[in-house]
Amino acid sequence: MAKVGVYVCHCGSNIAGVIDVEAVRDFAATLPDVVIARKDLFMCSDSGQEMVKQDVRDGLVDRVVVAACTPRTHEPIFRAAIEKAGLNKYLFEMANIRDQASWVHGHDHEGATEKAKKVVASAVAKARYLESLEDKYVDVTDAALVIGGGIGGISAALELANMGHKTYLVEKQPSIGGVMAQLDKTFPTNDCSACILTPMMVEAYNHPNIETMTYSEVDDVSGYIGNFTVKVRQKQTYVDWAKCTGCGDCATKCPAKTPDEFNAGLSERRAAFIMFPQAVPKKAVIDMAHCLNCAGREIGTIPKVNAKTGKQILAPCEKVCPANAIDRSIAHDPKGAIKEIEVGSIVVATGYKVMEKEWFKEMAPSSPNVITALQLERLISATGPTEGKLLRPSDHQKPKTLTFVSCMGSRDKKFHTYCSRFCCMYMIKQARLLKEKYPDLVINMHFIDVRTAGKDYDEYYTGARNMGINFFKGKVGGLEMLPEDKLRVLAYDMESATNIEYESDLVILATAVELPEDATSLAQKLGLQFCGSKFFRELHPKLGPVETSTEGLFLAGCCQGPKDIPDTVSQAKGAAAAAAVPLAQGKVKIEPIISEVRTEVCSGCGICVPLCPYKAISMREFGGELRAHIEISACKGCGVCTSACPSAAIVLHGYEEDQIFAQIAALTA
Amino acid sequence: MKIEQKKIDEAVQTITGYGGHGILNCVQCGACSAVCPGVKAGFSLLCRNLIRHLLNGELEEIIEDPSSWGCQACNRCTEICPQDVRPQEVVFAFRRYQANEMAFSTSAVTSQMNLYETGHAVFTDARELRKKVGLPAEPPTSAYNEKAQREIQALINSGPMGELGLF
Repeated sequence: MAKVGVYVCHCGSNIAGVIDVEAVRDFAATLPDVVIARKDLFMCSDSGQEMVKQDVRDGLVDRVVVAACTPRTHEPIFRAAIEKAGLNKYLFEMANIRDQASWVHGHDHEGATEKAKKVVASAVAKARYLESLEDKYVDVTDAALVIGGGIGGISAALELANMGHKTYLVEKQPSIGGVMAQLDKTFPTNDCSACILTPMMVEAYNHPNIETMTYSEVDDVSGYIGNFTVKVRQKQTYVDWAKCTGCGDCATKCPAKTPDEFNAGLSERRAAFIMFPQAVPKKAVIDMAHCLNCAGREIGTIPKVNAKTGKQILAPCEKVCPANAIDRSIAHDPKGAIKEIEVGSIVVATGYKVMEKEWFKEMAPSSPNVITALQLERLISATGPTEGKLLRPSDHQKPKTLTFVSCMGSRDKKFHTYCSRFCCMYMIKQARLLKEKYPDLVINMHFIDVRTAGKDYDEYYTGARNMGINFFKGKVGGLEMLPEDKLRVLAYDMESATNIEYESDLVILATAVELPEDATSLAQKLGLQFCGSKFFRELHPKLGPVETSTEGLFLAGCCQGPKDIPDTVSQAKGAAAAAAVPLAQGKVKIEPIISEVRTEVCSGCGICVPLCPYKAISMREFGGELRAHIEISACKGCGVCTSACPSAAIVLHGYEEDQIFAQIAALTA
Repeated sequence: MKIEQKKIDEAVQTITGYGGHGILNCVQCGACSAVCPGVKAGFSLLCRNLIRHLLNGELEEIIEDPSSWGCQACNRCTEICPQDVRPQEVVFAFRRYQANEMAFSTSAVTSQMNLYETGHAVFTDARELRKKVGLPAEPPTSAYNEKAQREIQALINSGPMGELGLF
């Protein structure tokens, strides 16, 4: 007969503020096989854990139920505790009475207490039937994958590579660098963005342990911590990168034009292009969606021959390339090529995008002189469309009055309720750079409030006030288009409680940070979850900021939530350190809460095989008959096969039939 | 100004009771006031500023202020508000409070009387002008229709407006 110990946690006031812990404890003491029922202010504290351990060591209990916060964070803690005391750690069951009772029923103390009793009864019922299980270990592939080649991905990749691990750096654009490569200077020190980023890009690209795969995307991920198999698709470049020297001649001759994404649409690039002057790798790409197929040179066709000269008629890109890297006669596969890699852990650092101005109808988005802050960044960058001169888009004249509008789409229930976190700082940075360069500019900045939390950040802001930049507290309500491409700003000054109206030549919108559209499909491939703000969800907002609910999968940078460069780099290095743990250990533990086929009962019908979402089941021969077999390293213990098996031949350890029926019986008693 | 929680709670309860349910959502961004034609016309205690005073618990202190009656119900504030405050509803809730405390501005009394008598809150006799441009002198509205006026008065008398005893 089992000897069950029940330990009810107050969780400070998290549980005890709603639930009558004493009543739950008293109730637990009456349940069958319960020999001890105790309570503590914090069961996870040293003294709380010691209480459990002592009871185990004294031989009083051989099954432990802790009624507390959530197994998501605390199950491992209590399992470890009883293991130390000498009990098999799987003889533990958690009753989730915080997340599933006190937190969600805070308004109904009595009801929450009754629910807590039921949850405890169900946990005890299951605990009576728990059996000892043993962890298993599998070998780890000593390699890491970093998805996203911005400053976060580069930092993580360098960190992993410097620790001695083979690292694949996958970037969807032709060059690494990310959004940071588009920036002019960086706050609060005004370092030139390219000057500090480019050396890191080169270092990563040339690192002996890093294999950089640009213009590439993750197509499919399978496996588990320690042994992921990843299919990476290198998109078709239509240029032989082994030969391409990055001279850019193809881009000068290509006649096809399309808005330049790198310049945030402020200028045009050619269909054959190099992403930007400092691109790493500096290689050309032909963007077939915009290619004109000059001279009828569709990909994979034989060139026509000039009747007079007898020479082949080639497209300008082919003709001009001094390295013979472009050959349109080759039947390039438009889907590109798949490369399969094996890695032990994955860091996701896929970054963000900013909202387009078109979302904000009240902000005269059709005016060319209303631009996003990222567009201004390109306007003031030496590598931008105006080579760093501040010229407004409508007439290429220098503006006299500039307006900065904060919180466009951030802190707004119509778009995103969160604060995008670094807009205040970059707006102040842009204003400062412009005021330094053009002291006669009138710069008006409108904020709901100025948020400059960060080292040396508030000093940067008060410095801007001293430079003669005007700050107004109050959100801009609208813009009206006026003749001569001017804009009327409808604003408000909170301090004097009066409205403000003036004419501005150029208006900059600090639009919200959000995930790019393709984040959803990546999340599906990787098994990532989204948080309420529609960023990738970390394991724990405080204690697991780089981990995810999938072991071996880590997050860094803005894909987890808006953050500036220092925070992104910090998180990236943290994610790299966490991702290196399984690689350094060389083995990973497989929890035994997985399914197993009782071969002697299996009829070999094969129904389970296609149902398994992890491709863990195959048919193997046992004694001359085909029977289902589950690969333990691939099984996640989801239980689909167990519930579908018509012969009830598949057992899900930790969730066995008698255990589940006991739980149901307790809940419905 | 002293901060008195009792007065703040009373102000919030009064305004939500009269239909200004979003008042506590306000983060004082000021976008409503930036677009408010009333604020532009000099009615300073509208939108953002009205909400600030109410959230300071200054309900009685501003009861005589005529700004709320300058609201044209254009709802630009509601459209621009990023926090779902619906400032126009707060302004109207404040008006209802003022009305129930008989703290009407004179402009409001005149328009209420117009409404009661003619069915139009803002009414001008345009019969001469209409004749001049070749239109029938009396348009087919309640202003020239005694039966319609009696119906409007019956409606007003039997509603909360009638209970105010203005008419």
